[in-house]
Amino acid sequence: MRSIFKNSLAALLLFASLSTALASSHREAPLIADDPLADNVDVYAFRSPDRPNTITLMATYVPLQLPQGGPNYYSFGENIRYEIHVDNDPAKPGDEIIYRVTFEMTNEDPSTFFNIRLGKQNLKMRYTLARSDNGGQSWVNILWRVPVPPTNIGQRSIDSPIGLGKSYETLVNQAIRNASTGERVYVGPADDPFFVDLGGAFDLGDLPRQGSNARDGLACKNVSAICIQVPIYTLLKKGAQRSPSNILDPNWVIGVWASASRQATRTLTAGDESYSGPWVQVSRLGMPLTNEVVIPVGMKDYWNSLTPYQEINDQLLDPFFYNPELALYMDDDLFGGAVPAFSKLRIQRNSLGAFDFGNGKDGLFPLKGTPAVAGTALDDAVFGTLLLPGPGKPRSVDLWPIFHTGVPNVRPYQLATGKNGNPLAAGKPFIHNFLPNGGDMLRLNMAVPPTPRNDPNFSSLGIVSAAVLGLTQPPYNTNANLQFIPNMDGFPNGRRLEDDVTRIELQAVAGVALAAIGLWYDDFGGGSPVTQDLLDVLTYTTGVESNDVPFKSGFPYLALPHAGDGDCGGTPADAASRPDAFAGGFSGFNDRLVNSAPDAVVAANFPNPFSDATTIRYTIEATTDVNISVFDRSGKLIEVLVNQRMDAGQYEARFESAALPAGLYFAKISTGAQSVQVLKLVKN
Amino acid sequence: MLRSSLLRLCSALLYFGWALSASASSHREAPLIANDPLADNTDVYAFRSPDDPNTVTLIACYIPTELPHGGPNFHTFGENIRYELHVDNDASIPGDEVTYRFTFTRSNQDPTTFFRIRLGQENLYTTYKCERSTDGGQTWTTIVTNGKVPPPFIGERSIEGPVGLNTTYASLMQQAITTASSGEKVFCGPIDDPFYVDLGGVFDLGNLPRQGGAQPRDGIGQFNCHAICIQVPITTLLKAGVAPTPVNILDGNFVIGFWASASRRATRTLNTNGTYTDSGDWVQVSRLGMPLTNEAVIPIGFKDYWNSLTPYDEITDTSLDNFFYNPELALYMDNRFFGAAVPAFAPLRIQTKSLGAFDFGYGKDGLWGLKGSPAVAGTALDDAIFGTLLLPGPGMARSVDLWPIFHTGVPNFPPYQLATGKNGNPLAAGKPFINNFLPNGGDMLRLNMATPVTPRNDPNFSPLGIVSAAVLGLTNPTYASNANLEFIPNMDGFPNGRRLEDDVTRIELQAVSGIALAAIGLWYDDFGGTNPVTQDLLDVLTYETGVNQNDKAFQPSFPYVAAPWSGKETE
Repeated sequence: MRSIFKNSLAALLLFASLSTALASSHREAPLIADDPLADNVDVYAFRSPDRPNTITLMATYVPLQLPQGGPNYYSFGENIRYEIHVDNDPAKPGDEIIYRVTFEMTNEDPSTFFNIRLGKQNLKMRYTLARSDNGGQSWVNILWRVPVPPTNIGQRSIDSPIGLGKSYETLVNQAIRNASTGERVYVGPADDPFFVDLGGAFDLGDLPRQGSNARDGLACKNVSAICIQVPIYTLLKKGAQRSPSNILDPNWVIGVWASASRQATRTLTAGDESYSGPWVQVSRLGMPLTNEVVIPVGMKDYWNSLTPYQEINDQLLDPFFYNPELALYMDDDLFGGAVPAFSKLRIQRNSLGAFDFGNGKDGLFPLKGTPAVAGTALDDAVFGTLLLPGPGKPRSVDLWPIFHTGVPNVRPYQLATGKNGNPLAAGKPFIHNFLPNGGDMLRLNMAVPPTPRNDPNFSSLGIVSAAVLGLTQPPYNTNANLQFIPNMDGFPNGRRLEDDVTRIELQAVAGVALAAIGLWYDDFGGGSPVTQDLLDVLTYTTGVESNDVPFKSGFPYLALPHAGDGDCGGTPADAASRPDAFAGGFSGFNDRLVNSAPDAVVAANFPNPFSDATTIRYTIEATTDVNISVFDRSGKLIEVLVNQRMDAGQYEARFESAALPAGLYFAKISTGAQSVQVLKLVKN
Repeated sequence: MLRSSLLRLCSALLYFGWALSASASSHREAPLIANDPLADNTDVYAFRSPDDPNTVTLIACYIPTELPHGGPNFHTFGENIRYELHVDNDASIPGDEVTYRFTFTRSNQDPTTFFRIRLGQENLYTTYKCERSTDGGQTWTTIVTNGKVPPPFIGERSIEGPVGLNTTYASLMQQAITTASSGEKVFCGPIDDPFYVDLGGVFDLGNLPRQGGAQPRDGIGQFNCHAICIQVPITTLLKAGVAPTPVNILDGNFVIGFWASASRRATRTLNTNGTYTDSGDWVQVSRLGMPLTNEAVIPIGFKDYWNSLTPYDEITDTSLDNFFYNPELALYMDNRFFGAAVPAFAPLRIQTKSLGAFDFGYGKDGLWGLKGSPAVAGTALDDAIFGTLLLPGPGMARSVDLWPIFHTGVPNFPPYQLATGKNGNPLAAGKPFINNFLPNGGDMLRLNMATPVTPRNDPNFSPLGIVSAAVLGLTNPTYASNANLEFIPNMDGFPNGRRLEDDVTRIELQAVSGIALAAIGLWYDDFGGTNPVTQDLLDVLTYETGVNQNDKAFQPSFPYVAAPWSGKETE
């Protein structure tokens, strides 16, 4: 089966045909959830809005960092290879460009338990960035031993003179470096740019929460980010024109994924660990949420171990895209009734009166080999059996390619605008991020212009928004020409920080991509396709639609990490209801029992041992006769230091011993007739 | 050198038949373990059970700052880890007398879903085996098999809903309590983390309480951990040969030392298909006895090393003692050092000229000047009795209070008695208030099981533990009118064991500031000869961190800890 698929890909490449996609991963698989340092959380790739000749690539690691997580806080790990991979040519196996980041840690002041003190930083990380342009065969270090900003512990540790004496913003700005090959780079802590109601989503799909308020489960959490802004020309496929032929130039598509690898063998010794052996990939991420909500628990660790290039030969994972679990909860014939929060998300079961995209149904398979699909992407002669591999795989035409090949700008993957009711006809182009290597990647067409973040049409719905504009809003819906529609540069054509990928992916599972190309919802009656079912899907919201803090307009775009001493550093303590620690109070102090005020209290001498002299310091609480006499160890009186009536106060008596032999002496201190204390004097 | 004398001293102590009491959490406290949350021991508790005083409840928490909504996998105990609770009751026998070992197994009841719980089935379903050793780990007896760990409290749909488990979380917790074949009650599962501290404040260079009127925040508020809770009959924990009825409420034979650990196999090999193989010897990767030792006493360069030792190893270790003799925190409570740099600690000032003579500042001599003098004859400071344990040398100011509180417990022996009855001489006999002396030299939570329980609804119940008992014994007419041994409320509090309610952060900061010294009559510098309840003492006693209690109420019965936060309650 897979070999047929391979043939399909070859055929595709031969035809030089072209193609856009959908989908975060925090503690998403059992094993990696227990290895936070190597846990790849999210990947972003977008054309830089302020520098459109560059692409910003980002990978975030170490999930759910608490701003207050001291004393050691969080950072990248040593002995881990953090990598961002770029594929730009599916004809060549493997990556064309790889960035590898490795870290080394030092303690500048190992004598303190504080992370930062007096300008010194413990657990201080430095990174080395290497780039490979030949699939990892050889590497060039393009940045070497660059300091990573510390954790944003709080004002005392960062801003104040007893800390680092700089603002956190200054630390971040100083950490931005230019690499020898033209990249701008930031590696360090940041606010986690992802947003999702984690608690709701994973309580059996209670998203948006029914009967209670949504909560952003990642609000107030930080991550460790690797951000690389790369000139587009260095990411371009070999031989591609430096200027794109149009805004969907098929040669301008890249696939981006990230990973973390550890050496195979870890050996623990007392208080230390060492690593050896070949490197093993333990985490990866391309499309958001793949391994979180598409791959079931039994396959998650396996999924993390694969590269996208291995997926082409894998036969275990495809069914989770052809018939995704989430679709069970959007179908009233299955478990739709069990997940009320998804009630607005209903999959086409009878699109155009013919096509059933419910789990286990045939989708468009009945069209296979018919004249209707001739010349379209569904034609075996054009795309092989890629999109219609068999019956009972309804989502092979939308979800599978969105995650594994990207979407080509060929029929039927064009907007219904201009199709005159036939979903298989040519329509208005809206996406081409086709890079048919079969693996899970974030695919970005770098030729698509960026939508300014202040554009009134800018939307966190990405391509869904572009599709809606192209279908419903002049001037975009008045012709079927290729033109820039705002948010064509949005997810799943790459992924901008603002893109609401959770909502978009849930809408995609509910069939919104099918609807965009003219496979309308069941309630379409031949008139306006903007039916209640479609409106329900489009207006579905998870309740958390944007990040908890604004992004920045310039590189690295991410918001500063939340400070440990700020509002995100724990829950407010309720001072009003605190327990009374001293319910008994201090009123009953018993002076007689505790303190009967003796004439002289304890005394002490310093130094001790001594050589030439030692000083006895003593305190008298009330007027009394004081005698201080020094004896040797045989009991012989050596000297009377004090013998007089004295008033209350603190005094000192000096014992000169230069002429005396080394050894042990005693100073007896008496008040009146009472011996109060004997000091042991040690002369060296 | 020092250590050999300590060894001798401990032997001497045992020979004299002496028996002793003590003071001091650890979340992501050392660099290595911070990266291995499953094996990270965060806290231990040991207290006489308020509703069943013939038993002691031992609790060890693991997996710090679990986000209640941390799906899809949420949190559970790890496989291939030995979670152990250790009890020493006889300092003359090296190693543990009673050891409990827990090992966990995870399974997926429905591997086709990404949800943790669906339709009555649970993924990462976790069960455990508990084994007990009463011979220092040489032989083991399985006392619980197939114990059930409740699932994470994901939310009402997953727990209560008919599409979930169709039950209540309270009943899941209750059903998870089991009785071991040897009589212990056992609970293993997720709970609200009972610890509370303003993490963000304290580790921002000691900003505790936060200055400038900033809102104090519980850094552990709304977080869960995974707890192992065992309720053990006192008779099971009692030293061999000791009569089951204590001679008095500070019976030295009733002292236990409790610590917990996690160990992993030495070698982990990652396979290329998303699995791994563990092999080799077991290596301890985390441990905890006294709270905050490895968090705020041991500096960063030694934290991983500290985690690798057992308490019994510490007796021959010479690299850690100085962090107790001269703790870093003391630098921030002394105007001669960095006191001015940490304004939040301004009420905490160490005695620099107690009774006009004794300086307990960093690097100072403390009571060293009294060494060998008749004044200390017959006290715990007399080399003839306690060896060089407490006065090992000059420049080790806190050898008389912080070191023993963490390493031996405190004996009911002069000078370690309240100033009440001392008539002004701190070295004289006074009113007994603690004996948790178990001189094995290692970091443990030491509990005298003879000390009665303070009811949690007693008007004098206080999270200040022994500090509160000392204040009552010094100032409350009911207790301060005689020097006799009698029960003072909170004598069963930290550092005599540790109750869930005890505010160990505050107590330990007060201890570093010399409160234990003051309790025995080594008053603060502003003492003028009459009332020792001076402004300096009041400043220390009334010092607060701003976070004074847990964010959830505890339960009146086993396992006492609060149910975990639901993933739907938190953000």
